[in-house]
Amino acid sequence: MVRFLTLLASGLSLGGVYALVSLGFVLVFKSTRVLNLAMGEFLMVGAYLGFFFISHLGWPFIPALVAVAILMGILGLFVHYRIMRGLVGRPFFAIVLVTIGIAIVIRGVILVVAGPIERARMTALSSRMFDIGGVKIEAFNFIIFGSALLLVGGFYVFFQRSRLGLHMRAVAENLQAASAMGISPDRVYAFAWGISLAMAGVAGVFFGHYAAAIDLNIAAIGIRAAPAAIVGGLDSVKGAIVGGLIVGTLEQVGSGYLGADYRDVIPFLILTIMLYVRPAGLYGSKELIRI
Amino acid sequence: MGREKFVTDYREDMRIIRTAPQRVWAVIVAVVLIALPFLLNNGWIPPFNFPWVAWLTVLNLTLTAIIGAAAFNILVGNTGQVSLAHAGLLIFGTIVSGWLGPILGWDFFLILTVTLIAGAGAGLVIALPALRLKGLYLLLATLGIYYFAYFAYKRFLVSQFGFIPIIYGFPTIPEWFPGLNDGDGAFQISNNFRWYWVLMPITALSLLFMSNIVRTSEGRAFAAVKARDTAASLVGVNPVRSKLLVFMVSSAFVTMSGALQSYYLTAREEASYPFQTTLDYAIMIVLGGFSSIIGAVFGAIFFYGAPIWIDWIRQETPILRDIEFLSSYKSEINLAIFGALIVFVLVRSPDGLSGAWVKLKAYFSKWPYSA
Repeated sequence: MVRFLTLLASGLSLGGVYALVSLGFVLVFKSTRVLNLAMGEFLMVGAYLGFFFISHLGWPFIPALVAVAILMGILGLFVHYRIMRGLVGRPFFAIVLVTIGIAIVIRGVILVVAGPIERARMTALSSRMFDIGGVKIEAFNFIIFGSALLLVGGFYVFFQRSRLGLHMRAVAENLQAASAMGISPDRVYAFAWGISLAMAGVAGVFFGHYAAAIDLNIAAIGIRAAPAAIVGGLDSVKGAIVGGLIVGTLEQVGSGYLGADYRDVIPFLILTIMLYVRPAGLYGSKELIRI
Repeated sequence: MGREKFVTDYREDMRIIRTAPQRVWAVIVAVVLIALPFLLNNGWIPPFNFPWVAWLTVLNLTLTAIIGAAAFNILVGNTGQVSLAHAGLLIFGTIVSGWLGPILGWDFFLILTVTLIAGAGAGLVIALPALRLKGLYLLLATLGIYYFAYFAYKRFLVSQFGFIPIIYGFPTIPEWFPGLNDGDGAFQISNNFRWYWVLMPITALSLLFMSNIVRTSEGRAFAAVKARDTAASLVGVNPVRSKLLVFMVSSAFVTMSGALQSYYLTAREEASYPFQTTLDYAIMIVLGGFSSIIGAVFGAIFFYGAPIWIDWIRQETPILRDIEFLSSYKSEINLAIFGALIVFVLVRSPDGLSGAWVKLKAYFSKWPYSA
């Protein structure tokens, strides 16, 4: 039981990271209908930037997080204006492949800039052990979980209440009608990319505290978070947090009991089952085309 | 070249080689394919210090990759079924051949046949999501297949070979085959030159088979399914049948190329199939151009040839040669160049290298009136 609770706690914080990444998926997909398969690589950029600010320059956590989010947001604007804007209306496979191309570029650039040697995990968040009835949990697990809940919840409110959130929902629902009402889809898309990559950066900084080491392998988290986004529904903000927590917890608990080999398999098993049972996800809109 | 060729019946229209220039090209390609290995094997030194020594290896790897890329192209380009399962299928081919060859000691050519059949069977299973899902969701559903196959592969390695790699022996040509003899009866395919003569015919036959399938009524059904499967079912095409068939054909060839690669590279271990493998084939078909078999050929040649060309250019250019940074991060820079090329090709010229080739030919055939 103690072991289960320990795994559960670390699974929930992994789920928090997944929730942030799948929020990144959802933000872009909801408005632009692009599945950004470079999400994991963007998260990796965030982790390396975080390492640079925190471990190298010795900045405190919050300013470093904000700096990473801003830099990644600018990168997102760049991705939209320089690359993605010219691809609107192309077949989706071409667009997905462009994101894969971006992922490969990022891997190459990171290898050149940072070298292949792995970095130690970041230590800006407290790793004090909490002992709750025999279950030992490091403090950063709570912080990651709480911040993820806060961020995703904040975005949910933002989407429902703010003017820009309304614009984003309008563009997602009906592009022509929205642009006829004076909403600029281009600006909405740019904003979606910026926020999405900022989320990836934030998730990267968090994951840099959670992962065993910072190297190119952490980009795999982006692919593993795709099941989380599907489980929640690719166009649902609420689904991002639910899907992230479900997949993160099941992965951590499952691989804790079955062995580390199962770590990659479990999210995709969940994905496969979900696609058969309910392809739109738990909260996604059921617009999926079938034969 | 400028003359148009008019056809008078459908038979003529559907020939693979239709025009006189195409016939000339076919002869040139055939002559080069036959002469090249002899030149490379006899230590011919070409101009400009071009690094030919490694070329027979690259050529052979390219030949195995062409099969996989062409099979992928049939699936994605001709039928519009976006699947990322091919890395999983390469792993499947490695498992099947590793079990039949090194463990059970079957004959190499028998194993290739078995991997074709086993791959077709695996294709049927992979096609199941395609019957329910489309586009993006199909891509995601097939993404998991790599992880499932890799999981099975690790299990297979640990249970059968412990922690040492699978070692594939040199395949042998049966004794009754005329004219080939090493002196002690069996003829071993033990060096690059001999491998070329095994791989080249297999690749040529596979390409011929695939381009023929595209020309049959099944192939036209594939194109109809790609355009719109609901409409296709109204004009008498059975989309379920077409999807199952295209997945079977494509998976069979990818699985076989996995077995071929394993045998050619002689050893396969846990680290042989990183997730990057999935992306490698995507690089090939994007750079080469979707929806044409020739695109897969261009793509595979470029994928394996470009690192050597880039290396060569760096070493022979006076300024670039002296920059330490470039030579110490060779493979990383190559990776970044590939990624940038993918983005560039998809944004600027979606037909890839084969499209550029067609444009180039059109330019010269219309010269001096070409724009």
